[in-house]
Amino acid sequence: MFQNRAEALALALPAAIFAAAVFLVPVIILLSDGFRDPVGGWTISAYTDFFSNSLNQTVFLRTLRLGAIVTVVSAVIGYAAAFAIVSLEPATKGKITGLVVLPLMISPVARTYAWIVILGRTGIVNQAFQALGITDAPLRILFSETAIFIGLLQLFLPLMIISLISALENMPKDAIPAARVLGANWFQVFWKVVLPLTKEGLVIGGTLVFTGSLTAYITPAILGGSKVLMLETLMYQQVSVSGNFVAASVIAFILIVMSFAANILLKRVATARNKVRSQG
Amino acid sequence: MKKVVFASGAVLMLTLGSAQTPVLAQEKTLTISVYALAQDEYKQIVYDPFEKICGCKLVVETGNSVERLAKMEANKANPVVDLAAVSMADALAASRAGLIDKIDTAKLQSFDKLYDIAKDPNGDGMSVGYTFYATSIAYRSDKMKIESWADLLKPEYASHIAWPNVTTNQGPPALYMLGQALGKDTPDLKGAIEAVGESKDDIVTFYEKSSQLVQLMKQEEIWAAPIGRFTWAPFAKLGLPVAWAMPKEGQTGGMNVMILTKGSKNRDLALQFMDFWLSTEVQTKLAEKMIDSPANRQVKVSDEVAGNLTYGEETAKSLKLIPSAVALDNRAGWVKSWNETVGQ
Repeated sequence: MFQNRAEALALALPAAIFAAAVFLVPVIILLSDGFRDPVGGWTISAYTDFFSNSLNQTVFLRTLRLGAIVTVVSAVIGYAAAFAIVSLEPATKGKITGLVVLPLMISPVARTYAWIVILGRTGIVNQAFQALGITDAPLRILFSETAIFIGLLQLFLPLMIISLISALENMPKDAIPAARVLGANWFQVFWKVVLPLTKEGLVIGGTLVFTGSLTAYITPAILGGSKVLMLETLMYQQVSVSGNFVAASVIAFILIVMSFAANILLKRVATARNKVRSQG
Repeated sequence: MKKVVFASGAVLMLTLGSAQTPVLAQEKTLTISVYALAQDEYKQIVYDPFEKICGCKLVVETGNSVERLAKMEANKANPVVDLAAVSMADALAASRAGLIDKIDTAKLQSFDKLYDIAKDPNGDGMSVGYTFYATSIAYRSDKMKIESWADLLKPEYASHIAWPNVTTNQGPPALYMLGQALGKDTPDLKGAIEAVGESKDDIVTFYEKSSQLVQLMKQEEIWAAPIGRFTWAPFAKLGLPVAWAMPKEGQTGGMNVMILTKGSKNRDLALQFMDFWLSTEVQTKLAEKMIDSPANRQVKVSDEVAGNLTYGEETAKSLKLIPSAVALDNRAGWVKSWNETVGQ
């Protein structure tokens, strides 16, 4: 496109300088705080301190667990929804996809606050449960892991559905009928044909949902509060209440590592299945 | 090629240039650091009129007190802020860290008009109170009866209350009063924290932002919560029978104070500003807008306004405040034992 590299570089220069100055350098400074020894030199003692505290362990495991559950459940629901959407007429497909994307355009604060009304003791969920005779007294759903799970799932499910729609659309149209003709049952069709052919969409969607769930702040803050801390809400507490920037930088580093690890893991799982297939 | 380089350079210059605001070199400048609350009203009542009087420029930095203190500490050698508004305990922390100077109260005309508790809250001459507030319990009078702080943890009530998290301004005072009610009032607040810990699964939430409570009260998610008087107005307007408790152990609360940065080059200007903020005129206006309860005893307001504030000599005297030194020496310990007992 460009006649020489210099032109391309010159065009990229403002963005590169901007990103380096306002993002890269501050992030490096922030993260290096977690490894700095107050006496001088470098140490990982901030990390060993962090993980030896039982509250931090609980919060770390809870964040990992909720992130994983949200990702798995959104993949299951996402496949079902994406299948339904790609099988629609093009005009309807556009409209439905638009509806799926719509929540992404609404502020997460508004969406999360709506859950406080819906999940509350006098909210619609409890009213329905009581009317149907499922419970006698209103259930306590707010300020629990369940509430955070529901909030995160609603927040990130659209990302999974969109990733899977584009993956399913790129799949050869005859693959499923061919598998059926050859005698595969629906489970085999999904496991041996659909999943391998759409795994890239799943990896992208899974990474987005998992990283999103780990790093979401508003949803766990409003629906869980300090009663059900996640790493993000714990990090906020460390910075803005305790003024403990070292602990906050440790949490930031852990979150970054977890996000990268999730992406690498998901890619590995995808390629491992490839190898099995090519060997078999 | 040259054009492209020039264009990208120009874009960069524009981005950098727009970030700077022109500063008039000859103008006197006073920099203050305050809570990020009601800044529109403060600008109208305090900042703009003061700029006219002093012929100077006022730079206002806002944020929560932890962030602002961290910034003052970082700029210790070359202070940016001349005057800061912080909590009593944070004023003592700043004093211990050597960040502030004694206040020459002889230069403050309004000083003698202050309530006694506001004159030297920490007893070290390093701060002057500009507002204080009571902390008690807002509760649904049709659902429960609150005569003691310990009533909140009764089995029939505990699943209908929100308790302030230990990390909020209301957390430690509420625990302090609960400790008094339980007859376990040690500075480490252990007895109270354990009592809350025993009811932690029942308690609806440990709130961090009082703004959240109004909605929870409206939805009948909660019937009661310890709150600061400065957040009372929206509860009173809910149209529900919400009352302000007068527990037999009394009310607690807190005070916000002004401090002067050590090494500040605008000391006289800072004192002039402090005096203006404490003046009867300014304190009355802030009270009438229900922003700050007055620390100036000459302020007179209507009964309706007084009802929404922490007002009057009697109230001021009756508040059981946690001494700053106790708060400062135990703060880390409170958070630790809270996290061990309640936080997980």
